[in-house]
Amino acid sequence: MLRNNELLKELSQVAFIMWDLHLYLDTHTCDTDAIALYNKYKEKYLCLKDEFEEKYWKLTSTDAQGVEWIKNPWPWEKEGCDC
Amino acid sequence: MFQYEKRLQFPVNIKNPNPTLAKIIITQYGGPDGELGASLRYLSQRFSMPHAELKGLLTDIGTEELGHLEMIGTIVYQLTRNLSMEDIKKAGFDAYFVDHTTGIYPQFASGFPWSAATIQSTGDTIADLHEDLAAEQKARKTYDNILRLVDDPDVKEPIKFLRAREIVHYQRFGEGLRIATDRLDSKNFYAFNPSFDKCK
Repeated sequence: MLRNNELLKELSQVAFIMWDLHLYLDTHTCDTDAIALYNKYKEKYLCLKDEFEEKYWKLTSTDAQGVEWIKNPWPWEKEGCDC
Repeated sequence: MFQYEKRLQFPVNIKNPNPTLAKIIITQYGGPDGELGASLRYLSQRFSMPHAELKGLLTDIGTEELGHLEMIGTIVYQLTRNLSMEDIKKAGFDAYFVDHTTGIYPQFASGFPWSAATIQSTGDTIADLHEDLAAEQKARKTYDNILRLVDDPDVKEPIKFLRAREIVHYQRFGEGLRIATDRLDSKNFYAFNPSFDKCK
């Protein structure tokens, strides 16, 4: 169902860019170019997250409870092939 | 505290089970240079770190390692699905199977259980950061060796991603070490522990 899901892939790519910049900024705290780049991707990430969560499932436990949270697939379940 | 996010850092979709590979890759779950040790090492060492940059770095890299632990668990889980007894015996997976069935258990490739003796938290900034640099190289080495033993691209891709992360973390820890030493007296790096000794 969700195997090789393009939206999840894109979301993960953008989230990864943000994370790598986040680590870089731990040791380069004043790099304004990196901060601007981070903010650019964050905007993109928020759009993708909204789109993904609307179509599939909520990503964090703050945003989903009960059936909404526990429903398959979990990340190790080959993205939907188990359900 | 920590909050769970319901996705992997990098996708894992393995079509063909392969218990022989699972036996090897489990070492990055609970082996001497694996992700469990990595996360606990950094998340424990961070408490005694001086300097905001180092507290941030150890917290963030330790957290990322938990995500890597999840990826390795996923790889092993997917490699051991739908196995017949014949598959298990032929692959020599029977020794693992008898204790854990196809559950995910933190152990070395040799079967030795995960050990806190594989990590340190010295309370000494310079000693800890050097251990962290070595740990990233040792993990990179294990991923290189896994890549030498694996042909399946479904397994190779996430392993290549994890290998690349070791290199990035090594770079960041190197920068962290420089931040620490830059704030010490260069004639006296090793006689003063900024985690413990107070500046006069």
